[in-house]
Amino acid sequence: MFRRLTQLALLLLALDATLCLAEEETEEVTESRWRLGAALGYGVRSNPLVQSDDIPIIVDLDIAWFGDRWFFDNGDLGLTVADNDAMTASLVARVNSDRVFFGNTDTRFVAFDLAGMPLSEAVEFKVPDRDYAVELGVEMLADGPWGALQLSAFHDVSGTHEGFELYANYSYGWRNQRLYIEPSIGASYKSADLNNYYWGVTDDEANVVVGPYEAEAGINWHVRLMVGYQLSRHWGLSLVAEYERINDEAAASPIVKEPDVLGYFAGVTYRF
Amino acid sequence: MRLLVTLALLLPALALAEDKAGDDMRLTVKPVLCITDNRNPSCDMSFLVVWQSGETGYYCLFNNFTEAPARCWSEERAGRLSDDRIVRENFSYWMTGSDPDSRLAEVTVEVLRMDSDDRRRRRRTRHVWSIN
Repeated sequence: MFRRLTQLALLLLALDATLCLAEEETEEVTESRWRLGAALGYGVRSNPLVQSDDIPIIVDLDIAWFGDRWFFDNGDLGLTVADNDAMTASLVARVNSDRVFFGNTDTRFVAFDLAGMPLSEAVEFKVPDRDYAVELGVEMLADGPWGALQLSAFHDVSGTHEGFELYANYSYGWRNQRLYIEPSIGASYKSADLNNYYWGVTDDEANVVVGPYEAEAGINWHVRLMVGYQLSRHWGLSLVAEYERINDEAAASPIVKEPDVLGYFAGVTYRF
Repeated sequence: MRLLVTLALLLPALALAEDKAGDDMRLTVKPVLCITDNRNPSCDMSFLVVWQSGETGYYCLFNNFTEAPARCWSEERAGRLSDDRIVRENFSYWMTGSDPDSRLAEVTVEVLRMDSDDRRRRRRTRHVWSIN
């Protein structure tokens, strides 16, 4: 699935590059269409699932390309349909992010169920697997002296969870020469289908360790603080901390141990 | 004739002295980076320019803002200048000797624009540690 997205992205990049060639020859390009960067440091993103490991972050790559209409931004593929002084609107295809937690789970023998009750004998238990979902949606970006706003709505088009997500994020940045501080806050509404696919437990998956569970729709909240310090044209320091409160319906799932996700990263960045 | 011969002999020596001065000229400027964004499209900066040469002589400091030198020093081998400027684009400071067309040392002050007119470059992805 990811390979198909990548192939599609490369095809679109080539197409857009061809279409823009004549324009580029006559118009001075002041900003590279590419945004390439890398960060090296240490960070962790906690995993709310039971029997799971936190997600370590040592190296982080930033790979993006922005054409006149098409763009590729770290896995997201977009087509800009409106761009004016007030806002920028795009159609965007992406891979759902909830799946990332299910890639860091363990299989263990347990003698207690997840409610803490003893079992007659130890049994093997693993958090149920979940698939990546390709989602298609619309995204609106607006900014001004008041800050920046990002609104989006995505629906599953891969038949994985068949749900949708509404997302809003507001950020405001301060710069004092080399120092940049940007707090942001946002929320994400996850439909019942989406929530239940990732955080529910079906009858087939239920066993003596974990009972069936059906999650309804819910709202995740997040706050984030990013601090950057530019050392030179290419090098910088970056510190990011993020807290996300998982919606109550997901947090009440028997396969969830923590109702929140805490992440942080500190490192050296290089922008090409 | 004798004068021409003397000049012919002296010119390479003078050129050599100029090169030697150039080799020995050290020019430092602080700061050398100005960071701008949409809210702050220019930098109001105070630059400290310091130069030092291996030889005493006549030296001038130039920049891109005016054709005339910012300052000249006579019979000196070191000097400094504080220069307050509002900066919007890259520019350079450079030192010359008696020949104003020959730059002995040059330092460029870079303007780094962190914001883009393209809003899509500021969108937040699941790329959690976005290093914008």
